[in-house]
Amino acid sequence: MLNSKFLYTVIASLFITSAVFAQSGADISPKRKQAIDSLALEKVRDLSKYISIIGDKRTPFSEATRVMDRAEELFAPDSEMGVSSINKKEVSYYKVRKYFERLMALNYDRVSIEWYNIFYISDLERQPDGRYVGVVTIYQRFEGTSDDGLKYKDTTKKDITIYVERKKTQIAGRTVEFWDVLLGDIKVTETSA
Amino acid sequence: MFTIRLISFINRSFFKTAYTVPRIFLLPLIFIVLTLCSTNGYGQMVKDGEDESRLYAQTKQINQFFRRFNGEEDEKGERYYPNNKQYRNVKLRKKYLSILFDENNGGISKDLQVQFAKDVLEKNLFLNFHGGNWFAEVHTIFTMNGKDQPVTLFMELEKHHQGTRWIISKVYADMFEPYFKRDTTKIGQFLHPLSHELAFMNLRKAFNNPDSANHYINKRFRPDHSTLFLYEVKRGNLRFKTVEDMKFHFFQAAGWYFELSLFNRPGYNTGWLISNLVKINTDKDKEILRKHLYYEK
Repeated sequence: MLNSKFLYTVIASLFITSAVFAQSGADISPKRKQAIDSLALEKVRDLSKYISIIGDKRTPFSEATRVMDRAEELFAPDSEMGVSSINKKEVSYYKVRKYFERLMALNYDRVSIEWYNIFYISDLERQPDGRYVGVVTIYQRFEGTSDDGLKYKDTTKKDITIYVERKKTQIAGRTVEFWDVLLGDIKVTETSA
Repeated sequence: MFTIRLISFINRSFFKTAYTVPRIFLLPLIFIVLTLCSTNGYGQMVKDGEDESRLYAQTKQINQFFRRFNGEEDEKGERYYPNNKQYRNVKLRKKYLSILFDENNGGISKDLQVQFAKDVLEKNLFLNFHGGNWFAEVHTIFTMNGKDQPVTLFMELEKHHQGTRWIISKVYADMFEPYFKRDTTKIGQFLHPLSHELAFMNLRKAFNNPDSANHYINKRFRPDHSTLFLYEVKRGNLRFKTVEDMKFHFFQAAGWYFELSLFNRPGYNTGWLISNLVKINTDKDKEILRKHLYYEK
């Protein structure tokens, strides 16, 4: 009974989503753009939450690994993190999984990761393969403390690529179109703002 | 008493207004704030109004520079669409234009800034992402035979299939320059005018010394670093290492050129800001400036 209710809810929500989004024409209307922005922000918030859990020293290894798997699912294949700091302009590139593993292995006894309630969402631009691409900017404050009292603090700006694609699915024999959002490369910049 | 500060960054002076809330409302207010924080899904939130207002003020993306320049978003970055009253509003544009300059740059006089803003507003000049006449200058590092070499890539947007893409339109690298140096004021090496009668047998002597090979190339020859760059990359000799810096050059506002650079520093005047501004009087001025930017002599 519970399962069929759940299935009904999923089908209904997908149908409603597609009813809002599925329109013809290449351009994205302001209303549709707002709906896509919400979806993109939801994914970005999920990522933020996962980063906080992975970085938290109290998270058991098995749980962190599970969360890294979930976090990886948010990304398009081959996505990378490009990291630069104020003192070192050179960008270091990491695969997303590697970046999470490095975050988990940071040599602090206590880690605090907080997020500013600020985000900026760019317009969406169409790329040659027909998918749309945008960038969401968020800010993170990091603080790592060692037992001997050493403290490291930084605020980083994260510019996150989002890929937006119209997809089709079959629900109860009917083809339903919906818009899907995947995260892509992320540029991480240490900021002094 | 509990104090909430509302901070607005428009108007340069960043005015701050303090509102006071009686203690009786404090608990419900804390409850509402905590509820909002717990439902936003971000995890722990930074509660620092000062920092936050600085980040709002920052021109965070090139996209935001376009929107602010055109007056197409509110102070929190929410986009205005053509059906909105505030969309491209002159007063809004005037406010934004005043915060889009690097304030520490003494090279851009106040008078010039005012003249530029006046021109932009009076002539209804807007920036268009797909309008051409703007390009990126990307400073990269490649390695050539194990040694770091700076390579400047000039990049432009190009229509391709269903959308657009950034392409490399020109390349400049210091490492290629010495190969093209020649002094045309001296007579130098040459193939005499009757060489053809001898089936150019003197070419053997001409290429005996590789250093003087460029003496035999015509005077109008302009070296193309893009060709060499592509050749070396394809041969596997030149390998990408990193991007160090970038800036953008705009010729879209008729009669003006401006440069956009990223300022990552404390304060409110940060992000993507105008770092150079030049009034262009003639097409010849424009051409000279373009050549200068592209390292063309």
